[in-house]
Amino acid sequence: MRFGPGHGQPQQRLDFSEYLDGLYGYAMVLSRNRTEAEDLVQETCLRALRAIGRLRADGSVKSWLFTILRNIWLNQVRQRRTAPDLLELDADDNGANEPADTAQDPLAEYVNRVEREQVRAAIQKLPLEFREIILLREYEELSYQEIAALLDCPPGTVMSRLARARSKLRDSLAGSLTAAVAGKSEDIGTRGTAV
Amino acid sequence: MGRQYEHDLGFEANLFNDDKPIDGNILSPRVFNRRGGKGADARGFPQASTRVGQSMNNCDKYATKTLLYLDEELEGQELKDFLSHVDSCAGCREQLEAEKELSATLHRSRPLYSAPVALQDRVAAAVIDNSTSSRDQRSMYRRVSRITGEGLSGFLRIFARWQVLAPAALTIALCLAIIPNIERRVQAASYVETAVASHRSYINGALRPGLESRSPEEITAWFAGKVPFAFRLPAAESAPGERFPYRLTGATLVSFKGSPAALVTYQGQNDKISLLIDSSKSAVVAGGDEVRFGELTFHYHNDAGFTVITWTTHGLSYALVSSVSDGARASCLVCHQSMADSSKFRTHP
Repeated sequence: MRFGPGHGQPQQRLDFSEYLDGLYGYAMVLSRNRTEAEDLVQETCLRALRAIGRLRADGSVKSWLFTILRNIWLNQVRQRRTAPDLLELDADDNGANEPADTAQDPLAEYVNRVEREQVRAAIQKLPLEFREIILLREYEELSYQEIAALLDCPPGTVMSRLARARSKLRDSLAGSLTAAVAGKSEDIGTRGTAV
Repeated sequence: MGRQYEHDLGFEANLFNDDKPIDGNILSPRVFNRRGGKGADARGFPQASTRVGQSMNNCDKYATKTLLYLDEELEGQELKDFLSHVDSCAGCREQLEAEKELSATLHRSRPLYSAPVALQDRVAAAVIDNSTSSRDQRSMYRRVSRITGEGLSGFLRIFARWQVLAPAALTIALCLAIIPNIERRVQAASYVETAVASHRSYINGALRPGLESRSPEEITAWFAGKVPFAFRLPAAESAPGERFPYRLTGATLVSFKGSPAALVTYQGQNDKISLLIDSSKSAVVAGGDEVRFGELTFHYHNDAGFTVITWTTHGLSYALVSSVSDGARASCLVCHQSMADSSKFRTHP
């Protein structure tokens, strides 16, 4: 999905395919709703296409896209502020979109899937500012400076918030992750030997 | 699944209330470390101590550097000091191991979410719609869109699926050889020009078919041994009594750069479409307005009143030529009329 501005213009192109997972992940941690997240990503791409001329040649496309997405979401939040509702974390997080890793043995694959689900659940339980910064730094690997610009906060805040987010996430994962994986593994092992 | 969370809009307002910036300049993590921060975070984020010598403050200082160490931002004496402290301090060592384990866990769970296929399709369609709508008034797309409603975006959308996902992406199977006698030669400087010249000859009746057939299997077999590349037309799978709006009419050979290329012809009620196929080694596809779907890039050309769409996949270059006055939606049926999604392109029930 690459788009160029057309004839006679600089060859500035966007290939959304390499950003879609990241954009969707960011939209999911912001909205915690699959439908809303998909709409956010689509709208982000549309606005990016229209505004591609404003992207600096040396600018980070990923940061730029994430900023657009966040601004769209914030505007939506402001519009909804008069009528707050409940957001549902829907069935997207069941791993249905993830292709099975056939290179792994079934047990390892299953354990990884369980672990990923646990991590997702733990992140989604964090407050917005924590889950947001976890995704931006730990998954999307934006620099501290990029995150600071994106979140419009002092750069030092990024590190302090990230440290606290990690601390909370670590606490949340402790125990539950080990127990869940061990329980599932034991379940698989039991079923495997019974055959 | 099905779990509800309280809408946390309130967090947005409080985003920065509890944040204590460690340093105002993050451009250099080492600057941050040297300057240190004031005030330990109430929830445990350590401050950088300015007083070395007190055990607690020492640990705080090094704990501050843990993230930097994990980011491989520590070096030189700073790194040595950090490692030396961790080596001698069980608490910091334990903390570091916990942070490492968390990083490893997060890394294993990448990507946190994968964009659903439906979203990928939506974005691809949006890109095409935007791309085509931004063209100038000479754009073939605009004119065709006004006629068809959906226009070429639908065409490309389906072609993308066709190429990327579907077996109908002209599943290439047969190996052929060069025919010694090429019946007709169409001289053209480029692949697009050749395709247009061939198409014009086809619609004018000047290009006689080498084979008249409505069977994709027969046409595939006819090309065997006549063109120096392998390809196979998708087989028709019509239901009894079903009539396709476009039907295969035949196949012939045209010359491109001195070698034979395959031309497949279709006939509709009032229009004709041709598909030129050649090896991508000799037929270079480039130029025009580009629209990309994943690994596939379509090139739109407007040449002498014809719409020409070219693309390359699996070692073959394709050029689909159609008339401007004909609907792009209907053009899709050339390849999709025998497929499950053909209903999307039928203008009549």
